[in-house]
Amino acid sequence: MTLRRVWAWATSLRGRQLWVTLAGALVVDVMTGPSGSLNDPTAGFAGSLLSRRVGIFLLIGFAFWLLVTSRERLAAWSRSWTAAVRPSRWLPSRWYRLAAYGVLLAVAIVLPLVLSPYWQEVAVDQIGVYVLLALGLNVVVGLAGLLDLGYIAFYAIGAYSCAYWTDSLPIHPPFVLNPFATIPFAIAAAMLAGVILGAPTLRLRGDYLAIVTLGFGEIITIYATNLQSVTGGSPGNSRPIPHFSINLFGLHYRWGIDNMPYYYLLLAFVVMVIVFFHNLENSRVGRAWTAIREDEVAAAASGVNTFRYKLLAFAIGASTSGFAGVLFASKIQTITPLSFLLQQSILILVLVIFGGMGSIPGAIVGAAIIQWFPNGLKTYVRKEDLFLYLGALLVVMMIYRPQGLIPSRRRARELALAESGLVEADALTTASRDV
Amino acid sequence: MKRRFAAAVIPLTVAGLVVSACSSGKSSGGSGGKPVFKIGYEGPLSGGNAQLGLNMKYAVQLAINEANAKGDLPFVLQYTEADDQGSGDKSPAAAQQLIDDKQVMAVVGPAFSGATKAAEPKFADADLATVSPSATSPALATFGWKTFFRIVADDNAQGPADADYAVNKLGVKNIFAIDDASAYGQPLEQAFENQAKKDGAQVTHQSVPGTTQCQAGSGNTQQYPAVATTIKNSGAELVFYAGYYCDFALLAKALRQAGYTGKLFSDDGSLDPKYIEQAGASVAEGTYISCACADITTNPKAQSFVTNFKKLAGFDVSVYSAEAYDATNVIISVLKELGPKATRAQVVDKLRTVDYQGITKEVKFQSNGNIAGSAVYIYQVQNGKIVSLGLSS
Amino acid sequence: MCVTQHFWDFFVSGLANGFVYALIALGYTLVYGVLQLINFAHSEVFMSGGFGGLFVINFAIGSRHPHGLSSVWFVLVGLAAGAVTGGIVAYILERVAYRPLRRRNAPKLAFLISAIGMSYFLYNLAGKEFGRDARTMKPPFTVSPNKPLFTVFGAPVNLYDAVIAVSAIAMLILLDRVVQRTRLGQGIRAVAQDADTAALMGVNIDRVIAQTFILGGLLGGAAGFLFGLGTAGVSYTMGFTPGIKAFTAAVLGGIGNIRGAMLGGLLLGVVENLSSACFGASWVDVVAFYILVLVLLVRPMGLLGERLGRSA
Repeated sequence: MTLRRVWAWATSLRGRQLWVTLAGALVVDVMTGPSGSLNDPTAGFAGSLLSRRVGIFLLIGFAFWLLVTSRERLAAWSRSWTAAVRPSRWLPSRWYRLAAYGVLLAVAIVLPLVLSPYWQEVAVDQIGVYVLLALGLNVVVGLAGLLDLGYIAFYAIGAYSCAYWTDSLPIHPPFVLNPFATIPFAIAAAMLAGVILGAPTLRLRGDYLAIVTLGFGEIITIYATNLQSVTGGSPGNSRPIPHFSINLFGLHYRWGIDNMPYYYLLLAFVVMVIVFFHNLENSRVGRAWTAIREDEVAAAASGVNTFRYKLLAFAIGASTSGFAGVLFASKIQTITPLSFLLQQSILILVLVIFGGMGSIPGAIVGAAIIQWFPNGLKTYVRKEDLFLYLGALLVVMMIYRPQGLIPSRRRARELALAESGLVEADALTTASRDV
Repeated sequence: MKRRFAAAVIPLTVAGLVVSACSSGKSSGGSGGKPVFKIGYEGPLSGGNAQLGLNMKYAVQLAINEANAKGDLPFVLQYTEADDQGSGDKSPAAAQQLIDDKQVMAVVGPAFSGATKAAEPKFADADLATVSPSATSPALATFGWKTFFRIVADDNAQGPADADYAVNKLGVKNIFAIDDASAYGQPLEQAFENQAKKDGAQVTHQSVPGTTQCQAGSGNTQQYPAVATTIKNSGAELVFYAGYYCDFALLAKALRQAGYTGKLFSDDGSLDPKYIEQAGASVAEGTYISCACADITTNPKAQSFVTNFKKLAGFDVSVYSAEAYDATNVIISVLKELGPKATRAQVVDKLRTVDYQGITKEVKFQSNGNIAGSAVYIYQVQNGKIVSLGLSS
Repeated sequence: MCVTQHFWDFFVSGLANGFVYALIALGYTLVYGVLQLINFAHSEVFMSGGFGGLFVINFAIGSRHPHGLSSVWFVLVGLAAGAVTGGIVAYILERVAYRPLRRRNAPKLAFLISAIGMSYFLYNLAGKEFGRDARTMKPPFTVSPNKPLFTVFGAPVNLYDAVIAVSAIAMLILLDRVVQRTRLGQGIRAVAQDADTAALMGVNIDRVIAQTFILGGLLGGAAGFLFGLGTAGVSYTMGFTPGIKAFTAAVLGGIGNIRGAMLGGLLLGVVENLSSACFGASWVDVVAFYILVLVLLVRPMGLLGERLGRSA
């Protein structure tokens, strides 16, 4: 009798939540526990699961479950923010949004001044550049709904273009340029690459686009490594890429190895890009993208030239990436194929998804938070285990909050409708349900 | 509810940044009034290249521990590290981390050439000396950085010496030269190939990307049998491999399985007992390995290094461990000379004129930071052990 | 031409690679057939199969040097161990990462991100727990170098290649039987063709999907063991490249099509080897990519067409 009752409770909602919480506690225990090694593969498991630690973690898990499920208000609260987001009524008017951006900008301007040089470096190299990249990929993935897994290839093309036109590669350009002046060339090169890649493949299904872009990302690195006489190969560019400098209309300024000038330059560019993308999103182009994203067949039937708009999104994303590449190349002064691995393409995708697809503030905040992780938790977490946490974070995010941290209102609405079963969540899903 | 959540995100982000910014850069105090001098190590400690970086990290730690244990220093030595994952884009931040810590007096590293290229301008600007145990790119000495020093001989010293030995001493005329598409292997193979061709040998070159076994390679282990077949069919008498021990072991195994009977020759990236372990004693037998470093197995001073390293690290002395040990000891000797009032600039100047007998070589630097003297030694795998055959010429 | 000499050498060793690709590709194709989902974490199923096989085999062999009939036994043990580990990991993957998303009608991108997250998590966990060095298995059979088993048109086939070929062919035939003849196979084909109708017909969708994952995991895990038998051994990063190649192979043959995955795997293996002979090992991935793009442009549904339901 009692066995049946126990079983009934165990398989009830609360019972299942308990198992899930306890299992999660064990996983966290193993993740944060000691590591095994070549000669002792069970050391990690034994150390975390067969010691006092497991008791502590199970206790914490149990307490967490108790807290969250038994208190009605807490339960309602936790359900509310893991449920699909209803469109937020928070920022109804343009002025509120502008004010929020203004505050963010002020913080962005003032904050780095109080940080240590190390954090300034991180703010430029790892956070700033990746915010730019995330914004670009946000257009491709978030606004147009195209899955691009080789995004870093355009970054590489932009960086190598900058290196080429400033005469830092083994092959010499017809005329030498200042890094600022290479920006249009780099953007053009990246955009051209985007169009060449996109033209044949954007007509394919989304999943195929993913694998083709993945392959493209890989082969760009391979070309960079193999064509030693052109790109310098694995060791990278032969002469250092010069820093930015301005020399016109009586204005003379040289960027150097100091981080702050680069930071402010990056900030200016990011603001420009944000304004541009925001206008784009609310324009005819943006509406076409939304239409394509939500239901491609209906969009085509309504007269939207889906291919052309997809190509435009692709090209814009590619050029943003190329642009970021120039900034990167000129700041670090040395570029090698190792800086453009597949891992980074996926990282940028994670930034966008984590922050909120299709949402500009989401892309910024997502990039900032995730890029902060490896540096902020450096002393508490073993560096090698970092992607362990990142991977787990991704899975948890997708299960409990797929709309991302700061969802775009449109996206939130789409997800809410999808969850209630009315429509498919995005074009990718729709396309693959075609028989 | 949502608005609270979303609203909380931004100040949380900012708070997080500020908290971590303020909590970094903490320095630890010394004991008994002695100043604390830190020796930093910059190299790959995570990611695909981590194994190579760890080899050096423990050597640095060991040297520091031994110096402290001797008890005759007017300061306390401490170890600190910065992880650059072996790549140029993480390197400036890692460098900045070491520069920010005012107790760091000198840095062993950066371990990889790409990382050095990206970070050295910062080190030069901050007057913080860096002694690299493993960055072999010849270009590094041409940029005029006054803080750049390296213990290891660059590719332009090693490659030609290898080529001369192979063609003149071993008398081979048909060579197959392979690089592992890494920043270490490519320039080394080029230097070798150029010299070998000058010496009159026929050289076929192929780039076989290294795998992820001990470095962040992009190669495919399944391709090695095909490469082995190509080499065997080419009739080469000697295979020169510019890369690391793990990929060299794979290639050696594949070659022997394909029926290749010629000689095998590699450079200091393969000077590691793990090569014999992974390739198997019968496959590795007779392999030639060159290194611009003296034999540490016959040096009594090096014996204690080998045993103590194993105790500290848990694995055997590996590629570049001995060089890192020497680099740290050079820095320690300089600090000892300068005393407790040493400054970073003084360390840089003193390193210019240092003359220290390390376990791998006599450490003296040229004016551009390169090691002075680049005697290349040849080793051979005999009966499962790496044995020194003496100088290459 | 670069391939007319010693063509069969490269062909044979390419087939060996191809069989491994085929086994892994089947995992991708099966899951895609029923869920229309690219299971990016399948490369870690492959990797875990390698580790499972490694530990069991090393334990079972101990200090022996098996040959003859006992070798067959050990190979079977290894295959089983790899397969079971792969199946378990695949099942965990489905329950933890995908089922909650299916419940919520999550967008395709969420599945993809979750898959990538699980992939990162699993291979880093393996690296953390088992060490980051590669480890070789104790050989269950003795291979004498330079003494091939037999030759095919002058190309040497050594014992390792033969083991891979035989095991793979056996598993492929088994899979084909399962999909065509059993109820499970029927269920898989039904769900692949039209999930809603299948549900109406009484097929337990959740169970079929879980079983599909397990089936793919069995094959991928066994492939991991076979891969680990080779010179490179088993390492925590071993899943990445074969995973991408196998996925390319699956698309090449027609994603969702079992015979297509087999064909695609073998074809890719051979083509890679031949391009290594012609262009050098560093260009192999580029050639594979161009071929993929070509096939997708000319015949986007793959060589044998798509869908489990239609033309398996």
